[in-house]
Amino acid sequence: MFYWAPHTSELELHIEAAGEHEVFIDALLGVAELLGVDVRREPDVCRRLRAQAGDRPALLAAWLEELIFVVETEGFEPVGVRELRLEDESAEALVVGSLGEPPPLIKAVTYHGLTFAAVEGGYRASVVLDV
Amino acid sequence: MSELPIERVGERIWEVPAGARAGMRVPARVFADAELLSAIRADHSLEQLANVATLPGIVEAALAMPDIHQGYGFPVGGVAATEPPAGVVSPGGVGYDINCGVRLLALPLDVGELGARRSPLMREIARRVPVGTGGKGSRDGLRGIRLERVLALGPRALLEDLGIGSEEELTVTESAGCLERADPARLSPRALERGAGQIGTLGSGNHFVELQRVDRLYDPPSARAFGLREGQVTILIHSGSRGLGHQVCTDFVKRMDSRLRDYGIELPDRQLSCAPLDSPEAQAYLGAMAAAANFAWANRAALAERARAAVGAVLGPAAARGLRQVYDVAHNVAKLEQHDGRTLCVHRKGATRAFPPGHPELPGAYQDAGQPVFIPGSMGTASFVLAGRPRALELSFGTTCHGAGRRLSRTAVRKQVRGEVLRDRLEEQGIAVQAGSARGLAEEAPEAYKDVERVVDVVHAAGLAAKVARLRPIGVIKG
Repeated sequence: MFYWAPHTSELELHIEAAGEHEVFIDALLGVAELLGVDVRREPDVCRRLRAQAGDRPALLAAWLEELIFVVETEGFEPVGVRELRLEDESAEALVVGSLGEPPPLIKAVTYHGLTFAAVEGGYRASVVLDV
Repeated sequence: MSELPIERVGERIWEVPAGARAGMRVPARVFADAELLSAIRADHSLEQLANVATLPGIVEAALAMPDIHQGYGFPVGGVAATEPPAGVVSPGGVGYDINCGVRLLALPLDVGELGARRSPLMREIARRVPVGTGGKGSRDGLRGIRLERVLALGPRALLEDLGIGSEEELTVTESAGCLERADPARLSPRALERGAGQIGTLGSGNHFVELQRVDRLYDPPSARAFGLREGQVTILIHSGSRGLGHQVCTDFVKRMDSRLRDYGIELPDRQLSCAPLDSPEAQAYLGAMAAAANFAWANRAALAERARAAVGAVLGPAAARGLRQVYDVAHNVAKLEQHDGRTLCVHRKGATRAFPPGHPELPGAYQDAGQPVFIPGSMGTASFVLAGRPRALELSFGTTCHGAGRRLSRTAVRKQVRGEVLRDRLEEQGIAVQAGSARGLAEEAPEAYKDVERVVDVVHAAGLAAKVARLRPIGVIKG
């Protein structure tokens, strides 16, 4: 699950999930919600995203950066994740969605308050988006 | 609510002592009155400012203007000066929207002469100025741009290659619209890809084009020097370096973050990632940041050209020819400047340079008045024209505020305000509104911001910048 915490000027995404894969998937779904994308709709395009970073929090940020890049440059509207492969310092996935005109909301993924940690029963992560 | 101790150390100056938190190398100093300070303490602004005070090589104090609010890493409204070679540069101290700034244009007519042509002019500007962060509309930038020349030369490249702008406009642009250290080779392919086709586009969030009338003059001689008179129509443009600048910051936050341990730097927040000014990472960042800053000045020049074309189409060629640029200032940038005989890297994140009369970097026409500074309020309130004052060099590395400063989150303000209702309310106040979405409009509602008049009164009273004129909105185009 994900939720948005109050932040004076930016958007702060929090994720609680059973596994690491789910954290990455929920992060994508959080962005989809922000863009107003109906994730129940049938996807008709896919994009392969590859992210690299030296630790899990930075890898989560890199994953979202890749996603936001295709949103910004192609009008990609994500609805789900296929074939997510996580390694220590990389993530690779096929994301599915459609092409449209997503609202212009997200400028960048920050490292402020960036977390990704194992907790009892799963994982917790947080990331602040510059909007 | 901040629990950091803060004490009054002067008229409208407050300080968190350097010992208040482990790692602080200097105090954290805030320009505010008691009411603004109360709002500032309500979020994490002071904690973020105290974090800035831990940066290696920071001198004097981590400073905050009265419009400070919680950001990411640095607070918005923050100023930090670091001293080479061990002092650092922090990309987060500039922000993602490198050289976000404002440009003020003055029309050769009064609001009475504009009359019923206000709405057609608004529609024509909105038709010609693409808005939004990405997708459709974001890549309808000027054609024929030679991006590498823009990155190296700023708006001069538009003048030389496309005949856009003038030598006079370059003169009345901060740093003549060109940071000389610009090194386009330092930009990543992705930064170049994100910037392609975006020169002449507004962007989203709090970016805007506002049609205004000069409502009040506080300092008529300085207003005359700036070419402003009561009742005159003005256009204020707020935009920055678009996706190109966002990517430069993203690239270098990541790159410096990976080298922190090598430089023995420990930080309380990863977004403060930084590198010593004499390091290869810092030099590369300064080159890339300068190129992005030049891109932003060119972007505002292109937006001004589009506004001029709209003026020509609606008000005629004489009005377009008579449109004058008052000045163009950055409020997200880091610059190497001389202060008290020292070379310092001054980070201004949501803060405006405000050099006083007689400063050698000011154009001849403004030598007596001081540097023009523009402080946008919110779309339902006034904006201000200020002029830099000598105390700014003594107290704030020649810096003043940049806006009203947010006080409510986007979520909170959407709970209070509906975009459609706000639009009607603004129309009733005589403010025509063009916005991409009702949601975006609501998020930028006046309720989301502090009282700009109070903010401006603080910097005026503190002697950082003096009030010259007040501008009232008569039309707003939101990104």
